[in-house]
Amino acid sequence: MIEVGRLCLKIAGRDAGLKCVIVDILDDKLVLIDGETRRRKCNILHIEPLKDMIKIKKNTSHEDIKKEFEKLGLKVMETKPKQKTERPRKKRKTPDQLREQKEEKKKLMDIFKRKKEEEKVEKKEGSSLEEKAGLVEEKKEVKTKEKSKEPKKVKKEDSKKETKTVKK
Amino acid sequence: MSEPYKRSRSLRRLQIKVPGGQTKSHYRERKHKLGRCHVTGQTLKGVLRERPDDMKRFSKSKKRPSRPYGGNLSSSAMRDVFKKKTRE
Repeated sequence: MIEVGRLCLKIAGRDAGLKCVIVDILDDKLVLIDGETRRRKCNILHIEPLKDMIKIKKNTSHEDIKKEFEKLGLKVMETKPKQKTERPRKKRKTPDQLREQKEEKKKLMDIFKRKKEEEKVEKKEGSSLEEKAGLVEEKKEVKTKEKSKEPKKVKKEDSKKETKTVKK
Repeated sequence: MSEPYKRSRSLRRLQIKVPGGQTKSHYRERKHKLGRCHVTGQTLKGVLRERPDDMKRFSKSKKRPSRPYGGNLSSSAMRDVFKKKTRE
């Protein structure tokens, strides 16, 4: 039953339930198949031979099998070959490029610093015009508090000195 | 007396080591039973066993085998189905 040109049904794997044809016999166990399934080698136990045969030679190309399958009214699976791409590798930056990077960073930092300073100045000006009256009052209060604190400290120090003297 | 949901056995218990060094029992919902083949009755391999919320994390190809009848029939039962079709 296992011979070149025999139509089969694949009964294992993700292509199970799809029809294929034997293209080549590789081994006492393995055959090459093509058709509705992928073109691949396959174990004999994983295919179920059918009654029909197709007249093809050993190792016929995928395109010829496609023509034969179209006569039977079956579609052939088209697989895209893998595109070979180069492995991405990290490239080291030259010292000139590193210098340029640093300069760009410095420029950005300078711009941000200027902006921050400008914002601070604007805030101060805006506050001073509107809240001058309030600030003056607060300052007075602070001064009065400071004044009230200073003599108290002196008193405490005096009292400490007195206590020390007493102990002696 | 502990709360009623902790007394019943509807939730499964996990013994978890907390950062302090103690082991404490945590309560989680139970997983569903193992998947079984409809024909042969053997347990299915390659079928995930997680809560529905955890199932979201996995892609479709990781939840069940990607062959026809994957997740419902075992591979041997599937082969019999296709063999019978050819011999009718």
